Amino acid sequence: MSITTVRPLGFFVSLAALLVVACALPHFANRGVVFLAGVVATNIVFGIAFNFAFAKAGVLSFGHAMFFAVGAYATAYLILNHSWMPFLLILLIALACGALLALVTALLALRRAGGVSFAVITLALGALVHVLITKMTVLGRNDGLAGVARPPLDFGVFSVPLAVGDNYYYFLVVTCALAVVLMWFLWSNRFGRSLQTVKSDPARAGFLGVDVNAKRLKAFVISGTMAALAGALFAPWAQIVSPELALWTQSTMPLLFALLGGSAFYLGPAVGAILFGFLDYGTRTMVGVSDLMVGGLLLAVVLAVPGGMLGMLSALWTRMTVKRETTNAKLSEARP
Amino acid sequence: MAGDLLTILFNAMTWSMATFLVASGLTIVFGILHVLNFSHGGFFMIGAYVAYTVLTYFGFEVPLWAYLAASFIAAIATGVAGVGVDALIFRRLQNVEGVYVLIATYALLLVCDGFVKLVWGLNYLGASPPNGLLDAIFLGDAILPTYSLFVIGCGLLVFVLLECILNHTSVGRTLQAIAIDPWMARAVGIDVSAVYRGTVIAGFSLAGLAGGLLVANQSLSPELAHIYILQAFGVVIIGGMGSIRGAFIASIFLGLVEAISATHLPNYPGVLFFATIALVLVIRPQGLLGKEATA
Repeated sequence: MSITTVRPLGFFVSLAALLVVACALPHFANRGVVFLAGVVATNIVFGIAFNFAFAKAGVLSFGHAMFFAVGAYATAYLILNHSWMPFLLILLIALACGALLALVTALLALRRAGGVSFAVITLALGALVHVLITKMTVLGRNDGLAGVARPPLDFGVFSVPLAVGDNYYYFLVVTCALAVVLMWFLWSNRFGRSLQTVKSDPARAGFLGVDVNAKRLKAFVISGTMAALAGALFAPWAQIVSPELALWTQSTMPLLFALLGGSAFYLGPAVGAILFGFLDYGTRTMVGVSDLMVGGLLLAVVLAVPGGMLGMLSALWTRMTVKRETTNAKLSEARP
Repeated sequence: MAGDLLTILFNAMTWSMATFLVASGLTIVFGILHVLNFSHGGFFMIGAYVAYTVLTYFGFEVPLWAYLAASFIAAIATGVAGVGVDALIFRRLQNVEGVYVLIATYALLLVCDGFVKLVWGLNYLGASPPNGLLDAIFLGDAILPTYSLFVIGCGLLVFVLLECILNHTSVGRTLQAIAIDPWMARAVGIDVSAVYRGTVIAGFSLAGLAGGLLVANQSLSPELAHIYILQAFGVVIIGGMGSIRGAFIASIFLGLVEAISATHLPNYPGVLFFATIALVLVIRPQGLLGKEATA
């Protein structure tokens, strides 16, 4: 799947629209829906972070849940045990933990293996992280860490109490939006375009003097760090973290978001995460149906609509505009 | 002390052969089609549940022939499922990138999970070993349950049969030819897609057979697929992707790792196992014995 060109206007307009909807939500929706919206916001960051490595650099990881879990656990642990720390410092430490884990994973595995074998190595490493979490008493073993408070956001001169009302929700949404903007710059600048070269033809990229391994490593570390950010924001939102966050089924969620929305599009995972939020909400009480739905959807997307929702829409759009155009334009388009 | 060692070795062999039974079908499908099939664990689980359902008709006293018959029924059921999976999924994904195939088989595993949860529910179910395999042999300090001996025997039998078929029959040689170069095999007149279909059916039947034979080895729950598929993946990957002999040796190696960790690190089940897999892959991404993928 080739990556589509990024139009800044379209991106910022879509993001602004999403932000407006997200910020208006607490005024008319109930608490359950607002909670779900917060989860979807972290999922969007998680999905885009995953897709940065998957679609942009061609690195498929089946262990991304470990970064999310490390971010979430680091935040929960620090809030519970070192409550004197300012919240922003806690977030930074959580990000650093994710970055470190991603760096170690990449150094261990990325240089030697690609494609399917890298996916399986990350699967094994993710399973290892999950087992370690369930065995560490400081991390609450199988029970996880509960009662994670939402600490105040201290700016020195003034501080915002995030535990009050919907304050944490707004903080979460705005931080997620900032993360999405940051990754958008990385996706569309020179660095992002060089990742595309690495993905489509590593050998030729190497001949052209691009350090393929270094690019892949950077992309993977950025991806892991951002996944840790999603986890770090998630912990005080859910107020509980459990080892299931690190389970390998969790690792495949961002993959689902990306493929569902369209992995070739920067906002594809966001569309996928939102769609999945609706579906999950609709089937949450039916045992077994959610697995069937997730599995069936993934299968359908891989088999029938490899471009995802956005891919389908853009194909429709092209067909419609082509029809409207004159024969002359059609002729010039048909020429290679 | 000698008894301890014997117990460790015996536990290692039981784990190894149980895992090898699951990994054998996975290995064959990977060796010929080059598809790393996540859903293998799902069909293994469905096989176990099918066998369990058959066994409930016999109550608590299950004769050995009925146990084996239940396993074969499970094998047939998953084999039939294999026909559908081959036609609907594998065939369509022949020219798609490897990672997308991996994703599709993972999706199929989730479908299997959902199917099992809908049909058999979330509760833990259990089947007991058949008559004649309920007692144990005492060798010094070591207690060797006859059911575990049965599992070891089944694993060895499947290994020997597969080795013979792959290396000493014309079918086996055809399979090896296709595994190495499907294009050339087509050029000399071999019906490659029929062989692919046969391989998928054989692999899926082996999954169902393993499910049936191992139904009394552990309790049944919808997590069964995930437990065994990770073990079988470890075996297949360390064994060098697609080599039956490699998978056999790797399953013994990982069985020893697992038995040693169960004895010496009982509080950390799985840590040594996953650490070993990760370490082996980091040092030799092509597996311990692998050079290239051949059956």
